[in-house]
Amino acid sequence: MRKSPILAVRGLRASVAETGVEILRGVDLEIRAGEIHAIMGPNGSGKSTLAKVIAGHPGYEADGGHVRLRGEDLLGLEPDERAQAGVFMAFQYPVEIPGVSIANFLRSALQARLEDGEELDLFDFQDLLSGCMELLGMDPSFAQRAVNDGLSGGEKKRNEILQMAVLKPALAVMDETDSGLDIDALKVVAAGVNALREENPEMSVLLITHYQRILDHIQPDMVHVMVNGRIVESGGPEVALELEAQGYEEYKRTHAA
Amino acid sequence: MSGGIAVGGGARVAEVGEVAAVGRGGEPSWLRARRDDAWELYEATPFPSTRSEEWRYTDIERLLPLGDLERSAIGPNWSGELPERLRRVLASDGEGAGRVVEMDGRVVSARLDPGVAAAGVALSSLADAACSADPVVRELLGTQAVPASDGKFPALNAALWSDGVFVHVPPGVKVELPIRLSRWVSRPEAPTFTRVLIVAEERSNIAFEDEILSPDFESGTLVSTAVEIFARRGARVRYVSLQRMGRRGCHLANQRTVAERDSSVDTLNVALGGSVDRVDLNARLVGPGASSEMLGLYFGEDGQHFDFNTSQDHMAPHAHSDLLYKGALDGRARGIFRGIIRVHEGAQRTDAYQTNRNLLLSDHAVATSLPNLEIEADDVRCSHGATVGQLDSEAIFYLMSRGLERGQAERLVVRGFLGEVLSRLGPGVVADKVMRTIEAKLVR
Ligand SMILES: Nc1ncnc2c1ncn2[C@@H]1O[C@H](COP(=O)(O)OP(=O)(O)OP(=O)(O)O)[C@@H](O)[C@H]1O
Ligand SMILES: [Mg+2]
Repeated sequence: MRKSPILAVRGLRASVAETGVEILRGVDLEIRAGEIHAIMGPNGSGKSTLAKVIAGHPGYEADGGHVRLRGEDLLGLEPDERAQAGVFMAFQYPVEIPGVSIANFLRSALQARLEDGEELDLFDFQDLLSGCMELLGMDPSFAQRAVNDGLSGGEKKRNEILQMAVLKPALAVMDETDSGLDIDALKVVAAGVNALREENPEMSVLLITHYQRILDHIQPDMVHVMVNGRIVESGGPEVALELEAQGYEEYKRTHAA
Repeated sequence: MSGGIAVGGGARVAEVGEVAAVGRGGEPSWLRARRDDAWELYEATPFPSTRSEEWRYTDIERLLPLGDLERSAIGPNWSGELPERLRRVLASDGEGAGRVVEMDGRVVSARLDPGVAAAGVALSSLADAACSADPVVRELLGTQAVPASDGKFPALNAALWSDGVFVHVPPGVKVELPIRLSRWVSRPEAPTFTRVLIVAEERSNIAFEDEILSPDFESGTLVSTAVEIFARRGARVRYVSLQRMGRRGCHLANQRTVAERDSSVDTLNVALGGSVDRVDLNARLVGPGASSEMLGLYFGEDGQHFDFNTSQDHMAPHAHSDLLYKGALDGRARGIFRGIIRVHEGAQRTDAYQTNRNLLLSDHAVATSLPNLEIEADDVRCSHGATVGQLDSEAIFYLMSRGLERGQAERLVVRGFLGEVLSRLGPGVVADKVMRTIEAKLVR
């Protein structure tokens, strides 16, 4: 029996809110519980835009279609409500928040999930945080650094996965988490993601990448190719291997704007 | 007043109110002469107008009703209980090396830790110190740091000051915990003029925290403070001014720090309360190797108006100064920062920095930032920078995407922004108090 989808994107069209320029031109995508889907595609094809529209970035307007998480419509929700519903996006370009420590921020994020009047247990939080940091091979002092401020490119990516590990989403959208990571860091991060999946086999992952390399460590159930704001091909892991060999020229020719 | 005042959970403190009340009649002639000269200067000096660069954004004549000020107008001594809010602050401040309480411009108690007193540190009402012919007071009160000739308000303060605090730290004495001054202002419209004089002799250490509190007022109520700080060779002084007055409180501060060879004078100005706060701060680095860290933090809302006018005077070589003023402005609040680094001739190897950053939380808040440099030496490292920005919408989205509500996300960003100043200051009572006040403003 096939499980019902965690994420269902259908006919999604989206444009830049400020200018009205259309970027997503009818995206269809379905991810079931526990599945890993990869999206590949040339620069500027709309991968990050799709991730941001799923997470609720105010800079984009959804013009048509729907995005549902476990059947619940996401497009009408604020970004924080989507997070509460179980969406997490690891940013391609994590944002710097000077003066706010990672520990402090994650504590607030966990506290925000509790009912009014409920207090996060600080010891539980410490345990959770140090456990996750250990899993990702991070020094405990890292939690006292400011969120992304002054972090190296690789540290920022690792920080994204740390947050994902702490927040334990139902759907993790990882936007090019692998770019900027060195080979060892990539392995550690991939092992971390796999460990999280072991812990929670229902967790689904939408993994945006340009490289086959990460897919060797986090094996996708499906690989999609996005060109010009549409998913133009979907298949098994072999699709990624073909792309590695042939590039996007053929797709670009047949799916020009 | 009868009896002492309970401070910090019940300790009785000495009563010095009567001595301060000796008043004008009992003042030595040198002091009376200084007041006369100052009053003459005050009368001869026009009100600063918005046509002058330094007062361009603060129309002080409109903001402050000083027209019919009388020279003899001195309020009655404080009698009765301390107000609830002040008592709470005193109780929560915790351990210090000393504590002075000033009510409506009169010191009502001054307590110094016995160990610190035994080391020779003097802490007293400034009026007492002046009347008891302390030679240091006579030499330095209003003569070198904030003299009456500095301008309209320094002159007014020099003529009319009713009391204040004198701190004298003998050579080599290092006082670890801060001395705290808590000022309360209660009389609507009646101006209060007070002064602080801190003299740290060679290689001594002292920290002084100066807090101003008041209830809300129906009409503008002025507190003028003159702060004079001297750090002798190798001394370290830290001065914090924390303004948390109620609505329509107006604070005018004239501060000057004088840092001699290898000494350091670090200051922090925090403006959170009141309706108008104007701070004139001049850091003078007069000896080689002197250093000054100058921090400022402000958070305005409604129609609050904060105006900082700072200068860093490098008059000797190899001195270092670093200024960082940060403010958040909400509602129709207005923030002005005008700062100048002056490297005087011969002050080679000067290292001087100046940064002002503003965060606007509403479309109606306005920040004006005017950093400036004036360099007359050729071998110097100086930089200045100013920014006025809004909440970064990408940062807000980032935090919200982790589950924080918009309001929470905004508060976190503001806290982080202002927190940079506090983290430079380091943890302690001031940082806690400032954070708590900011939190309270943020949830409103
Ligand atoms: N806020 C915006 N304003 C204007 N143009 C935008 C905006 N966001 C995205 N675009 C444009 O939309 C297109 C898709 O951008 P997107 O970031 O989604 O691409 P991507 O597939 O993630 O590319 P990459 O592989 O380089 O990360 C690009 O042409 C981009 O310039
Ligand atoms: Mg992208």
